[in-house]
Amino acid sequence: MSELQQKDDMDKIKVSPTDMNIHGAKLTRRGFLGGAGTLMVSLALNPTLSFAKTKSSGHSLNATLPASWIEIHADNSVVIRTGKCDFGQSSIYTAYRQIVAEELCIPVESITSVISGDTDRTPDGGGTFGLLRTNVLNLRKVAAYTREAVIALSAEKFGVKKEEVTIKNGVISAGTKKTSYGDVVSKQALSLDIPVSGELTEFRGLVVDGEPPLKAISEYSIVGKPVKNPIVRPKVSGETTWVGDVKVPGMLHARVIHPATLGSTLIEAGKVNKTKYPNTQVVVVKNLVAVVSSDEYEAVKAAREISSTTKWTQWEGLPTSEGLEEQLKTKEKWTDVPPIKSGATKGDVNAKSAKSLQHDYFVPFHKHAPIGPTVSLAEVKKGVITVHTHSQNPQYLRMAIAKMLGEKEDNVVIRTYAGPGHFGRSNGGNAGSEDEAAILAHTLKVPVRVQWMRHDDMQWSTQSSAMHSNIRIGLSDDGKIATYQAVHSGPPMQDDRPIGAILAGLDTISPPTPDNPFRVHNAGLFIADTWVYEQVENVAETGRGMFQIGQHESPIGVGLRDHSMRTPIQFQQNFPREAAMNEAAALVGKDALQFRMEHVKEPRFKAILETLRNESGWDTRPSPAKTAKSDGDQELRGRGVSIMLRDNGYWACASHITVNPSSGVVKVERITLVCDPGIVVNPLQLKRQAEAGCLMGVSQTLHEEVAFDKGKITSMDWFSYPILKMAEVPTVKVVIAPDKTAKIYGQGSESANALVASSIVGAFYDATGKPIRRIPLRPNYVKQALA
Amino acid sequence: MTTLMINGEKRKVNASPDTPLLYVLRGELNVMTPKFGCGLAQCGACSVLMDGEEIRSCIYPFASLVGKEITTVEGLPARWQKQKNLPDDSERLHPVQQAWVDEQVPQCGICQFGMMIKATELLESNPRPSDDDINTAMTSSGPSPHLCRCASYAAIKDGIHRAADIIATESKTSNLKQAVSHE
Repeated sequence: MSELQQKDDMDKIKVSPTDMNIHGAKLTRRGFLGGAGTLMVSLALNPTLSFAKTKSSGHSLNATLPASWIEIHADNSVVIRTGKCDFGQSSIYTAYRQIVAEELCIPVESITSVISGDTDRTPDGGGTFGLLRTNVLNLRKVAAYTREAVIALSAEKFGVKKEEVTIKNGVISAGTKKTSYGDVVSKQALSLDIPVSGELTEFRGLVVDGEPPLKAISEYSIVGKPVKNPIVRPKVSGETTWVGDVKVPGMLHARVIHPATLGSTLIEAGKVNKTKYPNTQVVVVKNLVAVVSSDEYEAVKAAREISSTTKWTQWEGLPTSEGLEEQLKTKEKWTDVPPIKSGATKGDVNAKSAKSLQHDYFVPFHKHAPIGPTVSLAEVKKGVITVHTHSQNPQYLRMAIAKMLGEKEDNVVIRTYAGPGHFGRSNGGNAGSEDEAAILAHTLKVPVRVQWMRHDDMQWSTQSSAMHSNIRIGLSDDGKIATYQAVHSGPPMQDDRPIGAILAGLDTISPPTPDNPFRVHNAGLFIADTWVYEQVENVAETGRGMFQIGQHESPIGVGLRDHSMRTPIQFQQNFPREAAMNEAAALVGKDALQFRMEHVKEPRFKAILETLRNESGWDTRPSPAKTAKSDGDQELRGRGVSIMLRDNGYWACASHITVNPSSGVVKVERITLVCDPGIVVNPLQLKRQAEAGCLMGVSQTLHEEVAFDKGKITSMDWFSYPILKMAEVPTVKVVIAPDKTAKIYGQGSESANALVASSIVGAFYDATGKPIRRIPLRPNYVKQALA
Repeated sequence: MTTLMINGEKRKVNASPDTPLLYVLRGELNVMTPKFGCGLAQCGACSVLMDGEEIRSCIYPFASLVGKEITTVEGLPARWQKQKNLPDDSERLHPVQQAWVDEQVPQCGICQFGMMIKATELLESNPRPSDDDINTAMTSSGPSPHLCRCASYAAIKDGIHRAADIIATESKTSNLKQAVSHE
């Protein structure tokens, strides 16, 4: 049903409320006058609870256009709405439908439609991350409120007590009396005012409050089923409209000429050769230079030519990618940002021990590197700016666009579409092109589509922070860890300033600072890798943060902008911890898997380690392998292990690899992943997510490092930023072994992504007897490690 | 004006002759499954079939493709229908597309149009490819490897094997039907 039809129906509603209290939510019944009667349950947010705290109301949830979370039709079909989006995880189309169907006690197939991520058509806002950790609780609670309201109304209709009403497979019954969701509400419109808090256009969006009774996990029949993702078919058949496919009449195509370096300012923009490019013009807003044309390929060609004659100031202020590790290790002062200690810190790490090791580890900057560079289309109609894009946090992007243009949030609408996965890059709203499209559409008063080219996406997007870590482990006579000390040092996690706004000199939120009250935007480095070795009595973990590299030095305040990626910060911190654990086990002549077993307390960890031992064909023995050597051109075999605790999920990984010392080529032959993630909502989708997440981790481990010189990023394409190829793909075995008593939904692919790097370097040591303490394992670094 | 043969239809094109096929397909002809990934023939998101051979539409000037049969993912069901002489069915997918659904291959899916084109090219010449055949096709047979950032590679392999199964089964059925109709 269209929004307009809904509005018409709502206009015909005569309000004659007889309110009912449903676990703190207010149920209102209204006589339904005419109309098709298809809007059956409208779960409008209570204006007094939500809009009073919400800055935006126009083109959002409001009285004239009531957004519904769950819309149940007369034929019992159901539409659900979420402000979250899909980036390939499928969760909003699979797990969300399963969880809502479970609470409503209806077949999952009844939920025929999921509306997501459009700021004018979805209720809650907030970012697309932790979908099953916290975000799904909004819809789950709304479903629970709805079910309770329908039970109350059914009881009234049947003339029985609420406790006598049951719902199974969509059939509501009490004794021999039967009805359905559609029947219960078909003669009346219901408005259930549910309590919410938070702010729609803030980072985390709105949260549904209250504690409606949730269905007992022991009664689950839909959660846990391998439900297929319904959007796969329209995607592979070509029916899906992707973000880059959106067209509007009269739109112009833009290519942006980004500055020569991350600190350059514009001296003079190049001119258009009108004979060659008659439909093209150059638009300059301070340091934002764009070439726009009615013909897309003309814009591409003209931009290439104008780029070569556009003059920029030169700037140097970066340590270079070759110098980055040394910069973090010895040159940074670490005095700008207060250090942060982890909650696991305890005891005395300076206590004397029989043996010890202390090493430096390094993870370089990584690119999110979506296969499709960022693309957005913006249009201004009757004072309303609409941005068609692909975003993980559309309401927060709406805030950023409004702030940038000095407009009211009421006047900004974000519409989202399927797009290339970019693994967290836009969880603070923008991925790169959205703001540039909005600035150009606002300036030119016509719709403008901004498509970044490959080099723009590599050179002008944010990147996943680099990290230097120093790990010191003291071991007692019996081969147990007596002390563990880690100092992790690196740039902040997240800069959510839109790049176009910075270049155009427009208003943005602040870059990461030491005093930013919001952790995500604070320059402090927190410990994201949850401590798991509870048998260790003396632990000290410290994070040392800094300003973004080059940002203060850059006259335009850009530098190397950071952004969370997939397993943010935990990837960078788990790698050194687990790599050092492998080395510590070897130092005391213990098997790396058994060594972990001896240092964890949690039975769930012990269980998955035991499963990993069996499923991976692990040969219990100390590293290095008997065949280990560091020279020759034979392929040497090794195996390594790593573990991680993330989102209450327990993960373990074993990698079997080969190393050829003379060529420096590392091949990953097979990987075994064991997870106890908690409640497995959808084993089919979890397996695919874990498998792919793990392989992306192999890509990062073998290949990925952002290259930059003193002024700019020099990774420009897939040759200078290589990623994994089909021929390099190992066999991946995913073993899902959930603890049966788990009460929390299991998350998907992040741990799988982050775990693999440390198990591969463990295998490298096993194969060669030489440690490698950095990634990627490119031949040049491998040869250095073996020298 | 130039005429191209796209998915079995003659389509008139007005673009300047140096325009890469990708921009013509997407901009002028509304054939949207070939995606812009790099514009450098480095990733395979824009792949189409030219007379059955996979090419990167982002670098081929369309004018060089006159007289060639171009197939995109939109045209795969009709291609299969024609190859097997099947009755019209608007719901039918090409076996590769069907396998992609059955095996739940895509994560984000942006690369999968090129992956499915490459898989179709492979299966038309080699109906029962080994893992090594798949590795070669997807890594070294074209101008660059076909890249998937989500790293759905294991699922793509499963998808290709599944498609081979579907093709084998459907070919048996259609051969049987033909044999019956000849009797």
